[in-house]
Amino acid sequence: MLQYTIRRLIGMIPIIFLISVVVFSLAKLMPGDALSGKIDPLNSDPEYIEEMRDKMGLNDPIPVQYVRWMSGVVQGDFGDSFVHKRPVMELIGDRLPNTIILGIAALLITYLLAFLMGRYSGRFAYSVGDYLISAFNYLALAIPSFVAALVAIYVFAINLGWVPASGSIGSGVEPGTLDYYLSKAKHTVLPALVLGAMATAAYTQFLRNDMIESSRKDYVRTARAKGTKESAIYNKHILRNSIIPIVTLLGFDIANLFGGAIITETIFTYPGIGYLFVESVNARDYSVMMAIAMMLTILTLIGNLIADLLYGLVDPRIRLS
Amino acid sequence: MKKSAFWLLSVLLIMSVFLAACSGEKANTEKEPKDGTDGETKTEATEGGTVTFGYTQPFKGVFSYAYYEGEDDANALQFMHEGLVATNDELQPEPNLAEWELSEDKTKLTFKLKQGVKWHDGEELTAEDMEYAWYLIADPIYEGPRFANVAMIKGAQEYKDGKADTIEGIKVIDDYTIEVTVTEPSVNLLDNIWSYPEPKHYYGDISSKELPDADQVRKNPIGVGPFKIKNIVPGEMVEFERFDDYWQGKPQLDGVVYKIIDGSLAQGLVQNGEIDVIEAPKDQWEAIKALDNVNPVEADAMSYSYIGFDWGHYDTKKGVVVSDNQKFQNKNLRHAMAHAIDRQAFIDGFANGLGKPLNTPFPSVSWAKIDDSEINQYEYDVEKAKSLLDEAGYVDKDGDGFREDPEGNPFTINFDAMAGAETSEARAQFILQSWQEIGLNAKLNGGSLKDFNLFYDTIEADDPSVETFMGAWGLAADPDPAGIWLSTDKWNMWRWYSEKSDELIKKGVTFPEDSSKDVTEHRQEIYNEWQKLVNEELPIIFFEQRIDPWAINKRVGGVKVTPFGTDEFHKWHIVE
Repeated sequence: MLQYTIRRLIGMIPIIFLISVVVFSLAKLMPGDALSGKIDPLNSDPEYIEEMRDKMGLNDPIPVQYVRWMSGVVQGDFGDSFVHKRPVMELIGDRLPNTIILGIAALLITYLLAFLMGRYSGRFAYSVGDYLISAFNYLALAIPSFVAALVAIYVFAINLGWVPASGSIGSGVEPGTLDYYLSKAKHTVLPALVLGAMATAAYTQFLRNDMIESSRKDYVRTARAKGTKESAIYNKHILRNSIIPIVTLLGFDIANLFGGAIITETIFTYPGIGYLFVESVNARDYSVMMAIAMMLTILTLIGNLIADLLYGLVDPRIRLS
Repeated sequence: MKKSAFWLLSVLLIMSVFLAACSGEKANTEKEPKDGTDGETKTEATEGGTVTFGYTQPFKGVFSYAYYEGEDDANALQFMHEGLVATNDELQPEPNLAEWELSEDKTKLTFKLKQGVKWHDGEELTAEDMEYAWYLIADPIYEGPRFANVAMIKGAQEYKDGKADTIEGIKVIDDYTIEVTVTEPSVNLLDNIWSYPEPKHYYGDISSKELPDADQVRKNPIGVGPFKIKNIVPGEMVEFERFDDYWQGKPQLDGVVYKIIDGSLAQGLVQNGEIDVIEAPKDQWEAIKALDNVNPVEADAMSYSYIGFDWGHYDTKKGVVVSDNQKFQNKNLRHAMAHAIDRQAFIDGFANGLGKPLNTPFPSVSWAKIDDSEINQYEYDVEKAKSLLDEAGYVDKDGDGFREDPEGNPFTINFDAMAGAETSEARAQFILQSWQEIGLNAKLNGGSLKDFNLFYDTIEADDPSVETFMGAWGLAADPDPAGIWLSTDKWNMWRWYSEKSDELIKKGVTFPEDSSKDVTEHRQEIYNEWQKLVNEELPIIFFEQRIDPWAINKRVGGVKVTPFGTDEFHKWHIVE
């Protein structure tokens, strides 16, 4: 297992290198740079723009720029954000906690709902309830997240006034107090619900299908023949086996957790990584954009590795070699 | 972020905090004189309370006037800091933190600071703070965009280039007096010279390069304005509290919250009262202004849009535009293309009527705007457009429905516009159809709209495919057209070269020879001549001037709306 892990990690290096070339080229292919948004006689002048392009090295040959960027990245330095005037790592560090809170909350909601719905659907397959659940799941999958977010805001925040419509924290609360955490929770619940409840389809169907399949297996028939109660068969024997593949999906969720939800965060003005990413793309703030893209790449690779390792852990039949 | 692309970000909103409503309980039944511009009737004013001011782009958090770049940060700065000079309703400079005096030869400017103006940390504002700000900006390692605002100070360029240890032209006379010598006399010196002091005692010896990332600017910034910063949640919200020692007296509100929200929620948040003051998104204006709890205010903005003709290219070596493109040299053609467009219908159809056609590059709020009766109005007139083209020799010779050029060659026009708004595509089609209507074969350049960056990249690079393009400018209070209109300006996007125009623009910033003559009157005469010139030559089709829609909750009083935003923050109050 250790050997396997190390081999996989070494295998990642060329992939990361290739991806860095792609990320860098795509960034450079975008028209404009952080300074082309500054065409504004009120606040700037062409001499300043030229001078800054020079200072930032934007006039150097592309390979030179790439090597300069990459040598920083290798040392863990993603440069400074031109727009924010701060080191990129600090900027991401500021936003990461928000994104992780939102991501975990959404993931918990997804798992909880998917577990309940999947269990029901699996047990009462092809019943009306099962069809209703699949209908909901596919509908949720089909509705674009910005529509869901806007509807949720109008209903729960504006008409009913239960939760605030945007931001991650209310005004006038002292950090560390109970009010602070309550405010944080209140601000997180709606975006988390939109993110979480709309993403249940895959997990629910996974669980359902696995349960249906398991229910036809020999050990289930044996249990039935022995007169075990139907609920015990489902809750103890089948469910336990069917949960396994779901657990491994956790690995794939890691990148999502850190990557944030671009659209949902933007609509809720929730200052996380996704929001920062959109902002940076719009402002052509390359250093931030490339740093986030690289971070997500690496997390996805690691997530895949974790998923594979988990497989081996929960299912001894799978040998990692 | 990008002020020149007004439609891209004309969305400014607020979202409020429910706590706000609860804090105005110390009811006080004093009658407050109202500012006329908010269009409210006199009602009881209550002391205290919190108002939420919103915006739809995240702020960057560079809270220093010397370094900030976008409107997003400026919206927060306006509550906490002020300059020595302010702009009055006539868009002329007026004394704020300081009075000034100009010497006989117009090269020495002396500021006399008001005494007793306090920074938020209790220290008094002194002349050294102003000197310090100029030094910060002229510093060789300064990376902000403001050097142009100190370049006129004698010795500033030398200091920036590292050839001098001090700036020769700055002299602090005493704590409240500072004298600055400029390289040459200029009528709009006070509009151009940097006038925001920076807290020298507070910044200590942080270098000019590191300041924008220092805690003194990012986490605990101070100013001399009516509200001081209490809490900053990066990218999301800034909370301000009242500054009791404010030099114009204690502000009436307890605090202000500056909050970022998503533009699509504007109407709902105004409606349920979570938003108090907001520059409304134009596409939601119809619905927002009909709300019961809103005072709608429409303010003429200092911005306009235009359709530029491509006249040639910019000669980078010589630093001057060369008008070598033959395509649009015919004046009748340009006039016809202007007459072909129904600008009022465009404004009504796409901007909820928030705009007015204009025919010179000065919006009507500018004091330098020429009287409409003296210039061509380019009213919508298809027949006139057609006859102008006939006259110029652009006629349809091969019967395909489109006119050929006078030599009989096919004549097509490429048009470029920016993508971004929902109606961008329809707007572009409107223009194209207007031109097709008079027989000109106009089409979108490359078949599609361009995003903001690509649009300006293509035009600035003088791409040969660019022929006509729709852009926009935001303007400063002073009417001096230099920066956009001189033949040496890189931002002369349409590459129009005219000696006459250059001469008038340069003359417009000189003092009258007869020193008894009023400077404004003198400039007005020159600018009138210049406006007649560009109005007749029509190097670009002047399209529309903007109107900014502001939604102000009826519970908030005293909000003054200017062409540049809101003002007089210390007079804002809660009306119950």
